[in-house]
Amino acid sequence: MARFLARRLAGSALVLLGLSVVTFVLARVIPSNAAALYIGPRARPEDIARVTQQLGLDQPLPVQYLTYLRAVLSGDLGTSIGTKQPVLGELVGRLPASLELIAVAMLIAIPVGIGLGVLSARWQGRAPDFIVRIASIVGVSMPAFWLALLLQIVFFRQLDLLPLTGRTDADLRFIAPIVPVTGFYLVDSLLGGNPTAFIDAARHIVLPALTLAAYPVGLIARMTRSAMLEVLDQDYIRTARAFGLRDRLVVYRLGLRNAMPPVLTVIGLTLAYALTGTFFVEIVFNWPGLGTFAVRSLLNVDYPAVMGITLFGAAGYVLINLLVDLGQAWLDPRVRLT
Amino acid sequence: MDRSTAGPGASRTTRRLGVLFGILVLVAAACGSSTSPAPSTTATSAPTDAPPAATPSGPLVLKVATTANVTTWDPIKSFSTEALYMANIYEPLLWVNPPGAADQFSPGLATSWSTSADGLTWTFKLRSGATFHDGEPVTAEAVKRSFEAAADHAGASFIWLPLDTVEATDASTVTLHLKYAAAADLIASSLYGAWIVSPKALDAVAADENYFEAGVDGGSGPYTIESFTADKEVLLTRYDAYWGGWSDVQHYDKILLTITPEAVVQQQMLDGGEADMALSIPLENIGQYKTNADFTFIEEPSFFNYVGYFNVDKAPLDNVKVRQALSYAIPYEDIIAIGAQGYGTQSRGPVPAGVFPWSADVPQYTQDLAKAAQLLTEAGHEGGGFSLELTYASENQNEGRFAPLIKDAYAKIGVDVTLTPMQFNQQWERSKGDAAARQDMFLVLYWPTYSDAGSDNLWSLFHSSESPFFNLSYWNDAEFDTLVDDAGALTATDRDAALAKYVEAMKRLVDQAPGLFFYDTKFVMPLKNTIAGYQYNLNYPFAQFFYPLHPAS
Repeated sequence: MARFLARRLAGSALVLLGLSVVTFVLARVIPSNAAALYIGPRARPEDIARVTQQLGLDQPLPVQYLTYLRAVLSGDLGTSIGTKQPVLGELVGRLPASLELIAVAMLIAIPVGIGLGVLSARWQGRAPDFIVRIASIVGVSMPAFWLALLLQIVFFRQLDLLPLTGRTDADLRFIAPIVPVTGFYLVDSLLGGNPTAFIDAARHIVLPALTLAAYPVGLIARMTRSAMLEVLDQDYIRTARAFGLRDRLVVYRLGLRNAMPPVLTVIGLTLAYALTGTFFVEIVFNWPGLGTFAVRSLLNVDYPAVMGITLFGAAGYVLINLLVDLGQAWLDPRVRLT
Repeated sequence: MDRSTAGPGASRTTRRLGVLFGILVLVAAACGSSTSPAPSTTATSAPTDAPPAATPSGPLVLKVATTANVTTWDPIKSFSTEALYMANIYEPLLWVNPPGAADQFSPGLATSWSTSADGLTWTFKLRSGATFHDGEPVTAEAVKRSFEAAADHAGASFIWLPLDTVEATDASTVTLHLKYAAAADLIASSLYGAWIVSPKALDAVAADENYFEAGVDGGSGPYTIESFTADKEVLLTRYDAYWGGWSDVQHYDKILLTITPEAVVQQQMLDGGEADMALSIPLENIGQYKTNADFTFIEEPSFFNYVGYFNVDKAPLDNVKVRQALSYAIPYEDIIAIGAQGYGTQSRGPVPAGVFPWSADVPQYTQDLAKAAQLLTEAGHEGGGFSLELTYASENQNEGRFAPLIKDAYAKIGVDVTLTPMQFNQQWERSKGDAAARQDMFLVLYWPTYSDAGSDNLWSLFHSSESPFFNLSYWNDAEFDTLVDDAGALTATDRDAALAKYVEAMKRLVDQAPGLFFYDTKFVMPLKNTIAGYQYNLNYPFAQFFYPLHPAS
């Protein structure tokens, strides 16, 4: 296990190193002058020259990369051109908003996806199966921004039930402010005994979370269905039925439990997907998380921010994959030997 | 596999994976908990951790959605979109009134002012009772230090080029001594480089150049910065000791400005009640508010206009007849209809309507393709037959909309245009690089630094200089230069005579056509009828003044 762990860690480090090279080179080859961007419009040539020197952009590329790598290893992802603030601080400050959205989306996606998958498998070839399969395909293939707009039209414009954008009402801070503890507004408002804020935060998170959950619901439902069908076709299930065990016991106690490992692997991967899946969702709902920052940084050619986000996101992705791999290795000894 | 192996095995598997998922969730939660209390981008506090002392019903808050980012909080260096905030936090000596007002100026921190006959000495009497947000009184010494700092290192330091010395004549009198005659009243009312700053703040920034960047201020205006989260929001709160007072109407206690670069999201916020004012609604959608009874549709002239440059260093654009032909070929009406979605008026030269020295006497080109073809023939280019490259800023949607119209129109007279959209900073750099590799045509959205488009637009855009800064047609015309220089000197002492010179200069400019003058943009905004007291002033682009606003009764 130790060797497996060492191998996977070394692989992860290499992935991140490779990624840092690619993002660094890409940021340098795009036709844009970082120093001019940093100063803003109406930059004077002498100012551009000064900032070029300040930012070390007059150094050879390999020297710039080594300087960048040294800084990254010491936790410095550079300074955002757009906000003039340290990129790491920007990312860390926005992380709780994104994680809260992802957590709620996954809390919706996992039970709904598994439930639909079981329903589909149990009624294979019948109407419920057909409906779930169609719904799964729709969930997986529907663009998030389109679903987001659809939900906004229905729940805000037509029904006037839920707010359109934001994480809370702008007035909330003046009426029932949330005292930050975890950065998760739902949790913090509960910890602070602030029901007004909890209800407001909950109302705001429903639509973005539903949008973000659509893809994982479809994926989990499909995986659950196929895993369940495979398990339900096993001899021991047939034997259990032959012994007269109740159908509910066979399906849920024996079938679902044994179908869960691949489903949980998919859940792990969709969690990683959600890190980047939030980008569109956050923009449409003006959600102040990593996604909004990422999209704005891309549009502003804020290359230190884009590089930081890429590395940050990749590190998250690698970490989750690593944990999934380790989990599989822990559960299945055969994995450790390969 | 029998039941005895399937059941417990599956149970263990599920438990283990459940533990794994739990770890993932804990890692995620830990990331949140370890970071959220003090995001480094928040100047004073996280948005929700420092609640104001709210009354039971809470303070009166105006929520504004804006694109205006903060490139710096330093009022001396400020030369960008943060002007929106600066204009509510700081004050100049004078404010320029919008066109049509009885007086050209309104008092700011100066209540009276005068100039010597030669325009070289300007005296300003300061308002009594005005204080900075740090409690210090506004004195002549503070004005002196502010202007000296601005002349030394302001983003717009060039507006103080005429300044020789500043004298604090007494505690409430400031005298400006100029090197040459200039309109110091206009300069002192600039949106950039003319804010009066607390000496304490100037001392602090001298010791630490990033002093202001934490989101602190040293102004004397009606509002002060309560909190700031870079790229996200600015919360302004009223300065109780503001000299203007707070009791005449029910002013807003706080202004919550959400920085939202996406115009369509601003519209969503306005429609969804998350914003009371949205300063940038997409032009293609904004018309729907004209018929909405809940809104007043504000449509006013602005400080901005779209200008094009011909590179007169390159053939065939070095031929005046070719430039005139290309000016006649432009579909001005279509450009306003499509580029500006109808919210614009055709320019008369490079000075926007309503700004000195705009004049209705300056001629315009109208599209006349026959005339254009005839001029090309006279220039020896019958049927066109040449190609041009036009660069424009890819981030400017309006330019993206109307640049293809230029290409189509020029195709009709046999001129092929290659459109090259690029980031403005690239476009800007290329225009100053190797002369042989420069563009043939360049589109730009321009606005003057202060309310004198003679010394700015006319001088900056077309006056010759050793190394071009904004004169990106590289035009060098001695007659134009002389007219503009003479007019600039007259502005301080005889504004009518200055105007006459400037008009003459603009007539020559239009005739010689080193550039294209497309349209002056309009400021358009739907304003909720629940808000009263709105005052628009085209002299302060990017700025909105929140102090006069109050809830409609």
